[in-house]
Amino acid sequence: MRNFLTYKYNNLYPLLAILTGLTIVIFGLVYAQHYECTYFLVAVYLLSFLFINYKTCLKGLIFLAIFGSFFFLFTYLSSSSIDQSVFMVNRIASFTVGMLPGMSVGAERLTRNLSQIRMPRGMVIGLLIVFSFMPTLTEEIKRIKEAMKTRGSYNILNPKVLYRAFLIPFITRIVDISDTLSLSIETRGFDLKSKNYTIYRKEYLTIYDVLFLLAIIAIIVLVTVL
Amino acid sequence: MSENNNKIDELIDKLSSIENEETDTKAGKIVENCEVIDKESSQNKEKIFQKYKIKDVVFLAIISAIMLLTGAFMPLVSNIPIFGIIELCLGVQFSLFPAIGMMKVRKPGALLFMSFFSGIVLIFMNTIMCFCLLLCALICEALTLLIFRGYKSDWASFFAATLYMPLTLPFLYLWYKFFYSFTGEEGEAVSAFIGSDVGTAIGMSVAVIAVCALGAFIGIIVTRELKKAGVIKK
Repeated sequence: MRNFLTYKYNNLYPLLAILTGLTIVIFGLVYAQHYECTYFLVAVYLLSFLFINYKTCLKGLIFLAIFGSFFFLFTYLSSSSIDQSVFMVNRIASFTVGMLPGMSVGAERLTRNLSQIRMPRGMVIGLLIVFSFMPTLTEEIKRIKEAMKTRGSYNILNPKVLYRAFLIPFITRIVDISDTLSLSIETRGFDLKSKNYTIYRKEYLTIYDVLFLLAIIAIIVLVTVL
Repeated sequence: MSENNNKIDELIDKLSSIENEETDTKAGKIVENCEVIDKESSQNKEKIFQKYKIKDVVFLAIISAIMLLTGAFMPLVSNIPIFGIIELCLGVQFSLFPAIGMMKVRKPGALLFMSFFSGIVLIFMNTIMCFCLLLCALICEALTLLIFRGYKSDWASFFAATLYMPLTLPFLYLWYKFFYSFTGEEGEAVSAFIGSDVGTAIGMSVAVIAVCALGAFIGIIVTRELKKAGVIKK
């Protein structure tokens, strides 16, 4: 009960954050062809400032401003309809606003939460890798491109260069990293055989998570009814 | 002189025969040992459904991360109203990397694992595509198991990787028809998805299959080359 009443800013229950994000995306996409969707997305975005880190919200706004204006112009030039252009921005905004709750949850918290609900270990480890591996991959790609430059191959669009100088070294490196990572995971006590394991810090659903969900449901109902 | 030569030849033959006998017996032992080892490994290989090891999961997860990274522009492409544009843009990546994944982890469920790992992130980028990919992976796995009885053959990986992305086309049609029925706009959504020209839809479908086949083919060539080099174990 004490855990349920504690409030921590920017600390949404991971699974609930994913679920609410999904609800926002699906509702936004289904109603993208209506102006009510715009009101819904604005309301959810403003609500997010109360529960999600404002920096994350602002990042989302920057993304939306760049891609939203690009697609608005693209649609307006191709269809010359302001309505269609707004509906296109609605779609982009649905993805952006829907991603905000998910972006506020760290990969390690989501992993802990999934372990808590006894999700198969292989899936939890896989998800953790997918979420946290992106920066490593981008670094590897940069390194391979640098190596390509040292060999004098600048044009990655050339199929021969792409295959021999990029793809083969990249996959080789990936196989190496995968072998090292799997060994490292095993030595740190993560394996697929043992069923019982300790979670030192559990994730708890709080009243504020419930409030966040209820507020989103209320906005959906209001937009649908009105 | 010739007699001496003959004697020397005989001696060499004898010596070589002794060596051969020894090596034969040694080879026999090696063969026997190999048979014992082979029995164990063949028992594992004979099974269609094998247990996943941590290294398999890690490799598949990394491959999924690469798929996601190379397909990060999906939410932007998905808004272009041309039939099959997502599949055409992502065809190479979503057939090349799954082909590599299935060639290394030759176990049923590899494609499903990759779809699940990438689907969790895709759920926000393109919710529809996420569910479609999971369903298509399931169908691909089932078909591959029915036709090839596992992933021992390279063609099985090629088949599954080629079929994976093009299968989403009919499912997206069904999805739009079902999903927009809530708002009564299924007709508009489906016509927006297919486009006004049926010829374009057919042409794009053929292009998607060709692109995916090319991607899967490159994936198999890459894996074979890495196997020859010893990077990926046989």
